[in-house]
Amino acid sequence: MEQPLKPSPDSYEARDFGWLVAMSLLFFGLVAIGFWREYRTEWGPYQHEFPEILGHYGKGEEARKFIPGIKQIWIPQIAVTDRCITCHLGYDWSAILPPSLAQPLTPHPAGDLIAKHPFEKFGCTPCHGGQGWATTVNAAHIGGPGWIDPMLTPALAASQGLTMDQMMQMRCNFCHRHDEATPGMDVINRGKTLLRKRKCILCHSIEGRGGNTGPELTYEGDSNPELYDFSRVAGQKTFFNWNVQHLMHASRITPTTQMPDYNMPIDDARALTLLILSWRRQSFPPEYIPAPSEAAAAMQPTPATTPSANAPEHH
Amino acid sequence: MRERLSKLWRTLAWSWSPASERESSEAIVKNFWLHWFPVKVARASMDFNYSFWLGTASAALLAILTITGVMLMFFYVPSTERAYGSIKDLEYAVSFGRLLRNQHRWAAEGMVAVVFIHMARVFFTGAYRGPRAMNWLVGVALLFATLLLSFTGYLLPWDQLAYWAVTVGTGIARQAPIVGNTLALILLGGNQIGQQTLLRFYVMHVFFLPVFAWILFGYHMWRVRKDGGLAAIEPLRNARTSTPRETPAAKSYSLFGVTVGTSVAVRSSMQLEERDQVAASPNLIRRMMLVFLIVFNATLAAALLFNAPLEGPANPAVTPNPAKAPWYFVWLQELVASTTIHLGPYTVSGALLGGILVPGILLAILAAWPFLDQSPREAEGLWFARNRNRQNLVFAAITGAIIILIFVGVFLRGPYWRLYWPGMPRPAMPTLM
Amino acid sequence: MSNLGHNYGTVRIQGDDPAVNTDRRRLLRIVGKGSVLAAFLAQLGAAGRAFFPNVLYEPPRKFNLKRPHDYPVGYTFDAAHRLYVIRNANAFHVISAICTHLGCNVQWKGTEFDCPCHGSRFNPDGTVISGPAPQPLSWFEANESPDGFLQVDTAEPVARGFRFVPPNLKA
Repeated sequence: MEQPLKPSPDSYEARDFGWLVAMSLLFFGLVAIGFWREYRTEWGPYQHEFPEILGHYGKGEEARKFIPGIKQIWIPQIAVTDRCITCHLGYDWSAILPPSLAQPLTPHPAGDLIAKHPFEKFGCTPCHGGQGWATTVNAAHIGGPGWIDPMLTPALAASQGLTMDQMMQMRCNFCHRHDEATPGMDVINRGKTLLRKRKCILCHSIEGRGGNTGPELTYEGDSNPELYDFSRVAGQKTFFNWNVQHLMHASRITPTTQMPDYNMPIDDARALTLLILSWRRQSFPPEYIPAPSEAAAAMQPTPATTPSANAPEHH
Repeated sequence: MRERLSKLWRTLAWSWSPASERESSEAIVKNFWLHWFPVKVARASMDFNYSFWLGTASAALLAILTITGVMLMFFYVPSTERAYGSIKDLEYAVSFGRLLRNQHRWAAEGMVAVVFIHMARVFFTGAYRGPRAMNWLVGVALLFATLLLSFTGYLLPWDQLAYWAVTVGTGIARQAPIVGNTLALILLGGNQIGQQTLLRFYVMHVFFLPVFAWILFGYHMWRVRKDGGLAAIEPLRNARTSTPRETPAAKSYSLFGVTVGTSVAVRSSMQLEERDQVAASPNLIRRMMLVFLIVFNATLAAALLFNAPLEGPANPAVTPNPAKAPWYFVWLQELVASTTIHLGPYTVSGALLGGILVPGILLAILAAWPFLDQSPREAEGLWFARNRNRQNLVFAAITGAIIILIFVGVFLRGPYWRLYWPGMPRPAMPTLM
Repeated sequence: MSNLGHNYGTVRIQGDDPAVNTDRRRLLRIVGKGSVLAAFLAQLGAAGRAFFPNVLYEPPRKFNLKRPHDYPVGYTFDAAHRLYVIRNANAFHVISAICTHLGCNVQWKGTEFDCPCHGSRFNPDGTVISGPAPQPLSWFEANESPDGFLQVDTAEPVARGFRFVPPNLKA
């Protein structure tokens, strides 16, 4: 027996219809927002601008060949995945683009340093820090929760009383740890000289050599800052600051310590701290480790930083 | 206007519209996807006010999780070296990858919540009596599966959050009497969390537990049908029948026929009249679509608004301070942190008491409750029935306690698991630079 | 009587012929069914057994640390092995850094160990001051390897108060 369906004002269709339409529209709207967010990238405008700039400087051919999209330098040997160049597109155009070009398109300054550390072999983050995976400004530069290596900036360096160049030398020393002195790394070289002059290894063991009065320092840069007593540290609660103050007045920071109060100038303490914090567990393939003779030879003309022959050396 | 809109909608999306009751019922019976629905459904079961459609919402979440999960499997590498990087890739390099991961994450947390609230609804309506007791048990197993899925999924990003939450979780398993160490050995595939642990959790998370959950879900739905639909119809049926109900042996199934007392039979509609019911097609199906859409929208909106957390890469040398479990396990963490008992020379670890015994007993009582419940059957299918007051209060009290513990754990615990009241300054933990 | 075979209506299955259905056949049936069941269970057991690792990609339970004289007096955290080497003049002992509650790393705070996970606190000798930790921190056996390194065996817990004095230690 066929019964026709009678639509009534209190039918479920009448009740649900409006909601169904609203939810469908909302669904469409949310997916549309998802698409909008996906394609409204932070790097999009720069990639739009970059070919125009290339064209402006007479590189129309290259500008036409430019393919937009996320760009990365991938160096599996040293676990580098750097997407910085998605925005910093001018990085390897220093021959054409002027250094005055606004960031992020500013070309990386050329010179001896870059010649020895080509982008394709080192990427960006080993020297500059920051989060190479990221493709948004904040995440790439600051890193987000739990990221311990923010990008080095003049402001970050200034907060520790350093220049950015000085702070970057700490990162240089990840590789250059075993150089007696390295050209261009004045503050780390100063730290290394101090290390020898102050005879730190009489008390501290570094890479299997040295005394046992103080703790081993081989991988001090990997330390968990929470393991240190900050209760008597003035100023910032950073491991950097702890070390600077401890090097100057050890007994003020840890009253039970046997380490003397060196009362060294703060610049010396900072130089030594940068050196100590550069001692991290890092592994590089052999071809990345600089030959000691090269660096030593390069340092010959500057006797001021040449280490004295009889000082105990950590290398 | 409305009619015209309705017509437009029909032509656009709802192309099929039954012209008669018969056509409507045939649509159910003949359709592969719809055949597990009843032809007719009681008006009482359709009410949002009765069930809030929480079971359907859970099913929608399970569907979202399966789809987004299978998508994530194409990009995730279950290796200690590459897992973290593959999550970073999802966040930054895979098109829509972040949205995908966010939606998976929020759907997972939503599912824990919705499955629990669904269970609370069933409890407060006393909808687990008689033959429905079996389905209550299946539901408890599904809740357990949901929690296990969350726990196994938590390790996969291989970040600090993952590593230490699982350290704590497997630490609890280790405290189980007698079998504890063996259990931890099988879970971890060793003495510490490593590659084997990641792979084991991964296979559990993407294969065994989802398959288990889907099979249980299928059985759960089948039982709803065979037990006569939602308990919402029981008050009506109680009013209609003066004689004690008897199971009509109209149609019985023996395939999964776990029969306790009465046989599993189609009990629906027996005492219901025409005016109590509506055709499932399209009324039930339309409303299900609506619930699915609401859930899709909720997870999608959450995925657009909030990013799934990801900490630094796992580091066994540094324990985050404090290391917190995900919110739905934080109440257990509160329990394990505060239930260690010293009795003279004997010590009962909080991990055993708060981590195993208390939740184990709660789960056991939950499973056994339909068989212990002595309240009159007249209370079945009614919200907050007066003669169920006492047990409803106890259930609410336990739930409230869990919610308070979750609140304390999530919001008030600071470094070294100390209590910090709102507004109290928390000590800044030292950083590197 | 014969309820071993199956009688499908009037069709007699061959095995049901009482003349053929001897004790021997009954025995073979039991043996047959039993062996299928046993083989199945054994396979299940085999699958389960595979989950118990025979080798571990983990640091060994017995390992060498640095030479004894490399350790300063006091508490030295070894992050790789999650333990503290404690030197007191010439005597050494090794205390686990793994909290006995749920396995987080305890932190030496100069006068006590603190656990960041659930706030357990321990005395310098590893006994519990407060918090949920049920037991004191484990002490491990320390020794000197033949080639002169401090050797620790985490599979060998020792009593509190254990001390190892390396015989050839230069003070």
